[in-house]
Amino acid sequence: MDFDDTPDEAAYRAAVRTLLEEHAAELLHVAPGGEAVDARTHEAGLRRTQRVLAEAGLVGITWPREHGGQGGTLVQQAIVTQELARAGVPTLINHIGLGMCGPTVIAHGSDDQKRRYLARLLRADDVWCQLFSEPASGSDLAALRTTAVRDGDEWVVNGQKVWTTLAHVADLGILLTRTDPDRPKHAGLTMFVVDMHAPGVTVRPLRQMVGSAGFNEVFFDEVRIPDEERLGEPGEGWRVAITTLMNERVTIGGAGSDLGVPVERLAALARERLPHLDAERQVLARQAVGRAVVASLAARYTGYRRFTVLSQGGLPGPEASAGKLAGTAAAKLVADAGVRLLGDDAVYAATADGDATWQRSQGYLPGLAIAGGTDQVLRNILGERVLGLPPEPRSDKDAPFAGGRR
Amino acid sequence: MNFDLGPDQRDAAAGARDFFRGSASPAAARAALEGGPVEPGHEALAAIGFLGITVPESAGGAGAGLLDLAVVAEQGGAVLAGPSLVTAARAAVLLGEHPDLAARLADGSARFAVVDGPVTGSAPSIDAAGATLFLGLDGGALVVGEGEATAGPPMDATRGLASVRLTSRRVLAEDAGELWARARQVAAVVLAAEDLGAADRAVQLAVGYAQQREAFGRRIGSYQAVKHLLVDAWVGVDQLRSLVWWAAWAADAAAAELPLAASAAKASAAEVLERAAETCIQVHGGIGFTWEHDAHLYWRRAKVDRLLLGDAAEHLDAVARLAVAGALG
Ligand SMILES: Cc1cc2nc3c(=O)[nH]c(=O)nc-3n(C[C@H](O)[C@H](O)[C@H](O)COP(=O)(O)OP(=O)(O)OC[C@H]3O[C@@H](n4cnc5c(N)ncnc54)[C@H](O)[C@@H]3O)c2cc1C
Repeated sequence: MDFDDTPDEAAYRAAVRTLLEEHAAELLHVAPGGEAVDARTHEAGLRRTQRVLAEAGLVGITWPREHGGQGGTLVQQAIVTQELARAGVPTLINHIGLGMCGPTVIAHGSDDQKRRYLARLLRADDVWCQLFSEPASGSDLAALRTTAVRDGDEWVVNGQKVWTTLAHVADLGILLTRTDPDRPKHAGLTMFVVDMHAPGVTVRPLRQMVGSAGFNEVFFDEVRIPDEERLGEPGEGWRVAITTLMNERVTIGGAGSDLGVPVERLAALARERLPHLDAERQVLARQAVGRAVVASLAARYTGYRRFTVLSQGGLPGPEASAGKLAGTAAAKLVADAGVRLLGDDAVYAATADGDATWQRSQGYLPGLAIAGGTDQVLRNILGERVLGLPPEPRSDKDAPFAGGRR
Repeated sequence: MNFDLGPDQRDAAAGARDFFRGSASPAAARAALEGGPVEPGHEALAAIGFLGITVPESAGGAGAGLLDLAVVAEQGGAVLAGPSLVTAARAAVLLGEHPDLAARLADGSARFAVVDGPVTGSAPSIDAAGATLFLGLDGGALVVGEGEATAGPPMDATRGLASVRLTSRRVLAEDAGELWARARQVAAVVLAAEDLGAADRAVQLAVGYAQQREAFGRRIGSYQAVKHLLVDAWVGVDQLRSLVWWAAWAADAAAAELPLAASAAKASAAEVLERAAETCIQVHGGIGFTWEHDAHLYWRRAKVDRLLLGDAAEHLDAVARLAVAGALG
């Protein structure tokens, strides 16, 4: 057991740092903790940042070389992620492409698709989004209604997606559709790569509760997709989507990084604010800070355990859902303790000197408990797949989708 | 990064599991409440070498690390074994400069207890009932002596709790405050490891029952109200395991991290075991509230352990103070 870099890893980390310093002037930077940068207003800078990093060999570390990746290890990818955060580089604009769409193309795409898409994805020449959720199917994803009907060498898509992160800047998306309504709901689905600039695709940004436009609704009106843009066989869409979702939970709940504001920042805030509180308030504040630190460290070290398994060649299992569940809960404790330490400023959306770090995190976390599997859905998965508890009875699982309850 | 047990630790854990399953049980913990012996008992633990795991080889111990001891302690916790390996680990730290006494700890020829609070009338201390030699902090000095132990009616008889008045004392080290503090942190880690084992087992019991028991024509584990309760308890156990391993590793390899890690593990253990034990009772319904059922024995362990060696509030406060002072880096 050890947490240090091996000599190889230390050398790799040093090389990454040097590269980041060399390219510093070409990269977008954020203040520590200001992880989210609005994709629309900073689109050009974010795309450039990822391209510069890709050209420096710092994107897609674990991806195969033949697809423009570095053929490296998970440990190297984790080192790069840490060093990007340390250097204040914002989340890469193509994070959904890198974390979910790309791995799905690698697993299920044709050679032609891999050649056309993957290297461009790494450079953010194309930004990707994930078109799964619909107004009537979120947790119950397999109940989706967007249809794709075959017409010669093409498919014709009609329907609506919603909550699609990054669709307003995306060039491409992975799109889950229903191609056979006469089969049970999981069996009639097919996945495609869709061109977001194709005729008939309309993207409307939705304003999120904290004000920014992070996600969108996307309408498909007679959109034609060539058959060679299919990912996997017709009717196999659920299996393809599972690849995406497994990668999503590892990406979100993964390898020991904090989901909200890093807990070190809470410690720094407490150092500054505690002396201004009266003695009784200090006692209460330390309880809240202590609780947040314990929860964060527990989630972080559990991430290290999972990461160790993955880095030794293990596969991501359903227990990855526990990482997102516990990480979200810990992040909420951190944000809450942080906001409470602001004193009178806690009732405003930013502090008097304009810092919105804590309020922003507080306002972002309710979404994290929903995106990529709600807390409740994750508990169902853990209960059934990890603890082996019996599933709930389902009335609609085996009936033909078209004949089912609508 | 390699945050996993090594093959030797896995083997040690498997061996300890077999030993403890064969020599202790919740049934024995129940019998102990009615005056029976604590199992496996001091002699058996000495004979298998568990009292000397962290005692140097030169003093007759195994010279192993705290992580090696923690994985064994977890297995003891799972079956509510006693006496606690907390005492062995803590005494081994305190007796680091006293190989003659450490040898008697390891071979079991003396039954040590470490007493918290004033040596003229201590706080209830683990395994003090039945001990023959007591270690305490007296005006900043580490002392050893004989004493009189007074126990109240037991909530969890396996813990051997008693208050102690020393009747003789010999100074082992002056200015022992730092040593004492480190020994207490080590003790907190081992207590958290025993709680981890107990919590894991309590969740397993409840999951097993929820897989079988039917109500309203369905197995109760299919109801989300039950399922989510169990998942939350299990996630707590999974998270606690990470803190226990980290804290034990820190004791061996990164001393500067031990105070924070030990307090984090102990604070978490108090709450995780309590939730696991209460969930275990709740999921069992009426049968879970009976004397014959094992659930209350885990609950008793939870209700007692959470207050030993500092409660959650004390350790959360310590974590916050350390973090504010820069311990997170
Ligand atoms: C910030 C954000 C970003 C997102 N980005 C994307 C994206 O890029 N692409 C995409 O496709 N989707 C995206 N989503 C959508 C997200 O995946 C869905 O919102 C989520 O799966 C929940 O679906 P829903 O909104 O339809 O809620 P519903 O499924 O209707 O859930 C409503 C409530 O019912 C509960 N519930 C539902 N089913 C069960 C059950 N079986 N057991 C217990 N409780 C249940 C839920 O937990 C929730 O509390 C995003 C969402 C958010 C908030």
